[in-house]
Amino acid sequence: MAEDLVLDRAIRDWVLIPLSVVMVLIGFLRYFVSKLMRSYQTPDRKVVKEGQVVLRARNLRVAAGFIPTKSFWSRRVYFTNEENGLLHVPKEQAQNPQAQMFSDPNMAMDMMKKNISMIVPQTLTFTWVNFFFSGFVAAKIPFPLTHRFRGMLQNGIDLSTVDVSYVSGRSWYFLNLFGLRGLFSLILGEENATDDAQRMMQMGGFGFDPTKSLSAEKDSLDIIQHEWILPKMEKRAEDVLKKLLK
Amino acid sequence: MVGAEEAARLDRLEIQVENGGGGAWEYLCLVRKLKPRRSDKVLKHGLAILNDPKARSNLGGEEWTLYEQVAFAAFDCQQHNVAKVFSLSLPLPLHMCDCVAVLSKEFPGSLRVGRLEGMLLEAENSWAEAEKVYARLLEDNPLDQIIYKRKVAIAKAQGDLKVAVDFLNKYLEIFMSDHDAWRELAEIYVSLQMYKQAAFCYEELLLSQPTVSLYHLAYAEANESQCIEYSGFIILLFLRFLLTAFIEQVLYTMGGLENLLTAKKYYASTITLSGGKNTRALYGICLCSAAISQLTKGRSKEEKESSDLPSLAAEALLRDYKYRAPKKLPLLNSMLKNMKLSS
Repeated sequence: MAEDLVLDRAIRDWVLIPLSVVMVLIGFLRYFVSKLMRSYQTPDRKVVKEGQVVLRARNLRVAAGFIPTKSFWSRRVYFTNEENGLLHVPKEQAQNPQAQMFSDPNMAMDMMKKNISMIVPQTLTFTWVNFFFSGFVAAKIPFPLTHRFRGMLQNGIDLSTVDVSYVSGRSWYFLNLFGLRGLFSLILGEENATDDAQRMMQMGGFGFDPTKSLSAEKDSLDIIQHEWILPKMEKRAEDVLKKLLK
Repeated sequence: MVGAEEAARLDRLEIQVENGGGGAWEYLCLVRKLKPRRSDKVLKHGLAILNDPKARSNLGGEEWTLYEQVAFAAFDCQQHNVAKVFSLSLPLPLHMCDCVAVLSKEFPGSLRVGRLEGMLLEAENSWAEAEKVYARLLEDNPLDQIIYKRKVAIAKAQGDLKVAVDFLNKYLEIFMSDHDAWRELAEIYVSLQMYKQAAFCYEELLLSQPTVSLYHLAYAEANESQCIEYSGFIILLFLRFLLTAFIEQVLYTMGGLENLLTAKKYYASTITLSGGKNTRALYGICLCSAAISQLTKGRSKEEKESSDLPSLAAEALLRDYKYRAPKKLPLLNSMLKNMKLSS
């Protein structure tokens, strides 16, 4: 159980390296294909305006101390008042997000394309790895693992006495899948279609961002107590000048 | 934001290229990235590269970016007919219209080239044509910021400041966190003497960039100017450098004192942010204090806490002038004495 297996060098040459190379090449292929297939999404005027409103409201919140109290209050009313404040979103509109997402054909197509470009190569590569690189020990992981991982990492090695640290090609595939993201951002620049992990995280938290951020900004603006910091500046200016003149 | 080392690199490259060393392409790339306004140099070196077929083919795809950059530089330098060295394979001299023509042949119907065509018409002063081109482009691309700004520029160049203000306001309704636009609007308002609106714009700028001392200064000046009526402002301009007893004749409105106090505070914050070196702010403090004490002379018996700020500012001014402009020192002295006398 605890004895060391000696792994043939040929495994490295014919398993690990080719697998990595293949994954890198597939990544490149996906990047270029997605570039070709990407449809230019004209930003909606409303969305742009809302983005800018949020920025402006945030600036107001952050730097409120720099402007006189009256100006702050007038701006706050402008943003948050019930009738036509910029940040005020009436209740009906807030329900829209899901419906809008599915009824908008463009967005649906975009999501489909993104999904396809991500899932299909992954599935294909996974199948290929399973077919060719299973049934033998490919590498040894330097840290010990529990027996739970046996099913996942030791694909095809049906000996229960082999240490779980000895894994088959499947684990190398997973390692590459997550690890090559950094390599791709080096080679292909920031925006590349291989950010699978990121994409998966984004898919969970979709939803109509503007509405939520508008109400969030409105709430935080409502809370703020305005404190004009300028009067302190006079004192500070005195100190600065005194120091300067010394 | 321009880093200090990149600025230094730009200067170094500029000197190198001027003196005949290589690196023109690198210089042009850096100019494109950092956006300083060196149009004459860009024009000279850019045209040198473009007219040399070997260097041009070296650029590959970047050639078109260079055309665009040279076209912009030519607009800035007003070189409608820049004739340059003939080259064997391109028998035409390359000038401004040619740049735009070459680009529109290569990329027909493109937004960027459309913008260049509009700017070409602007540079040749055919405003109506340029407006037509921009209107057409706006229909296809309603969210293009640069076209809106060009429209404002046309209005401003024709001297039509009210129309420029209208356009800017419409632009800012959509793109309200564009601080360059707010700044432009503030300057136009100041030139139109609509100080209340200018103060509003400066407040926006203060909110987005609170540590820029320039905005504090401009806001203070807008506040100070708000408290004086139109005829008085011209006198105040005069007074800034030659304070005399005229100040009694200037009319103050009711809100005057409050505005002056605000202005004084913002002058103080400018001093803090700039470490006491900003001369305009120092002057501002002296003037504000003089004006405030003028206003409150008869009003309230209780003394406001008299800080040392005005006298410190006066001293700092005196020192500054002694080092940098000693000839004007007597002028400054008399002005300060007047203020101390009348306060």
